[in-house]
Amino acid sequence: MTRVQLVDISKRYGPTAAVEHFNADIADGEFVTLLGPSGCGKTTTLRMVAGLVDPSGGVIRFDGQPMNAVPSHKRNIGLAFQSHALFPHLTVARNVAFGLEVKGTPKAETERRVAEMLEMVELGDYANRMPAQLSGGQQQRVALARMLATDPRVLLFDEPLSALDRNLRDSLKYSILELQRRTRKTAIYVTHDQSEAFAISDRIFVMNEGRIEQAGSQLDIYLRPQTEFVANFVGDNNGIPGEVTGLVAPGGEGEPRLVDLVAGGIRMRGLDPGNVRPGDKVVAFVRPENIEVLANGHVADAPNIVRGRVDQIVFEGPTVRLTVDVDGTPLKVISGGLERLTLLDKEQREILLRLQDVTVVPDDPAVAA
Amino acid sequence: MASMTVDVSPHAGRGSGPRWFWNALAHGYVWAWMAIFALPFLATLIYSLRTPDGVWTFSYYQYVFGSFRENLLLSFETTLITIVINLLIAIPAAYAIVRYPIPGKSFILSTLNLSLYTPAAVMGVSLVIAYAFLFRIPQTMIGLIGAYVVGTFPLMLVPIIVALRDLPMVFEEAARTLGATRMQTFWRVELPLLGPGISAGILLTFVIIFNEFLVTLFIAGPGLTTAALRVYNLARTAGFQPSTAALATTMQLVSFTVVLLFFHFFGSRYLKGTYLI
Ligand SMILES: Nc1ncnc2c1ncn2[C@@H]1O[C@H](COP(=O)(O)OP(=O)(O)O)[C@@H](O)[C@H]1O
Ligand SMILES: [Mg+2]
Repeated sequence: MTRVQLVDISKRYGPTAAVEHFNADIADGEFVTLLGPSGCGKTTTLRMVAGLVDPSGGVIRFDGQPMNAVPSHKRNIGLAFQSHALFPHLTVARNVAFGLEVKGTPKAETERRVAEMLEMVELGDYANRMPAQLSGGQQQRVALARMLATDPRVLLFDEPLSALDRNLRDSLKYSILELQRRTRKTAIYVTHDQSEAFAISDRIFVMNEGRIEQAGSQLDIYLRPQTEFVANFVGDNNGIPGEVTGLVAPGGEGEPRLVDLVAGGIRMRGLDPGNVRPGDKVVAFVRPENIEVLANGHVADAPNIVRGRVDQIVFEGPTVRLTVDVDGTPLKVISGGLERLTLLDKEQREILLRLQDVTVVPDDPAVAA
Repeated sequence: MASMTVDVSPHAGRGSGPRWFWNALAHGYVWAWMAIFALPFLATLIYSLRTPDGVWTFSYYQYVFGSFRENLLLSFETTLITIVINLLIAIPAAYAIVRYPIPGKSFILSTLNLSLYTPAAVMGVSLVIAYAFLFRIPQTMIGLIGAYVVGTFPLMLVPIIVALRDLPMVFEEAARTLGATRMQTFWRVELPLLGPGISAGILLTFVIIFNEFLVTLFIAGPGLTTAALRVYNLARTAGFQPSTAALATTMQLVSFTVVLLFFHFFGSRYLKGTYLI
């Protein structure tokens, strides 16, 4: 039952800023993910919520109450670490009981709760094992049981699956989501793995160099990246520098606003980022899977339709990956379905492409540099 | 078929000599060294069990149950008190040194072992001077224990510093986020996980102080004869009598037994370091 607000949070270590002007309003029961490359400030942000790092500026609120002065052990949070961080000298049961014991919970109540938690993570039979006697996945599940035992207000996860192998990661991420849904607790999850973020989040905060680049749903982030960084970091993308040539009059209610531009010599029509005018430098992004290979007979005389020469073909089974040279601009193209098989003999031949769902972001000199 | 078997013995391919020969040689080598190390002790033991006429007897051990018992008790008492004081100094000090930014940390660390490198005689003289003229506590139990603490607390501090440094912060952080106060975190998480370092410190302090006689010789007054000092005094005054050997043997056995008991109770748990895998 906890709304978590981070208001203009910053953290500086000497001259370097680990986190800058971080703002987030996380609803009760919401599952948000901080996604970004290593070193972008995700852990620091999470640890400030946990009370393990003091912000240099800004306010953290739980349900409106300022938390900055509340020490970690009084915040009533659950934190899952990259390493499971189980106490190596305590049994599984004593690990799960730890938070209850230090709070002085009666013994009978503690035992009941520990049994319930271990049952929930399906490790009821492992109560008397030592952590070192468990597999990596089991250890992380005990860690989950331990953090849930004290009924925390907020669940915090710092790349809890990154030390596990792929299969385990895939199954455990859904276990985490399910536990969060069942307990209806607010959760903040940190990861650099976008597939993880996409699978489990209500909302994703993409971070870069201590700042939020974009916050939104999976669809927002993927289909409507607002910055060059997000467009490049999330999924595969073709980024083509260009210039806005005109704004397209809106088609009607609910229709997306579009702009005309020329990028890499290609005339395109793309999604209006809302803050550009004719003559502005921009970068047009089009995802490889959004480039359609057109059958013969089309003409290259409309926006977003270009002719190019196939440089390279890689057959990947379900998809075919092409590199197409369009007037010196290399475009990555992914083709699926049956039509992909018709492309296999097109090496060094000319083909016609239609660029769909072009997104446009203002050119950020800092990123280009 | 015989040609298919693979010789997996460690001596495979050595090419000469049957396996039993190499085994015997290896074992013999180990035992020979053990014997060389044990020889002085065994010689003392035998010497203490025979009269000058060559008759085997336990009679020299009667002295052990006389005043030597008090010497042994005093040794235990001073050693234990020193260990406790060392612990009380070393644990907070190690915590401060490792977990907090304190100015001059590297200087402190590099000079920490200074007292260990001081020759015992120099230390004894310095302490006598300091006690007599500075603190006015010559020849007291307080003085003796003070000397021991000054001489040995780095033995306690250094292993604890090492253990605390190797202890990942993540356990403390996990405890804190689970609701433990600093004190609870220390008692329930850090102290048990520092077990290896603390055990090593206790063992080192025990071995050094229990067997210490040179500094004791300078510091201790007439009423404060530890077991080690008693053996030394006897060797000097009475000479190398079988009775002296009996006391020496007893001391050796007591010291040995304590170390073995320590390993028995804490060894497998702490000293092997199985905790932090
Ligand atoms: N205790 C610290 N002292 C100095 N710099 C730090 C400290 N913790 C983190 N940083 C720096 O802050 C930045 C963000 O780190 P972190 O939050 O751990 O990133 P992430 O979790 O996204 O990989 C990094 O450049 C890192 O080097
Ligand atoms: Mg991190």
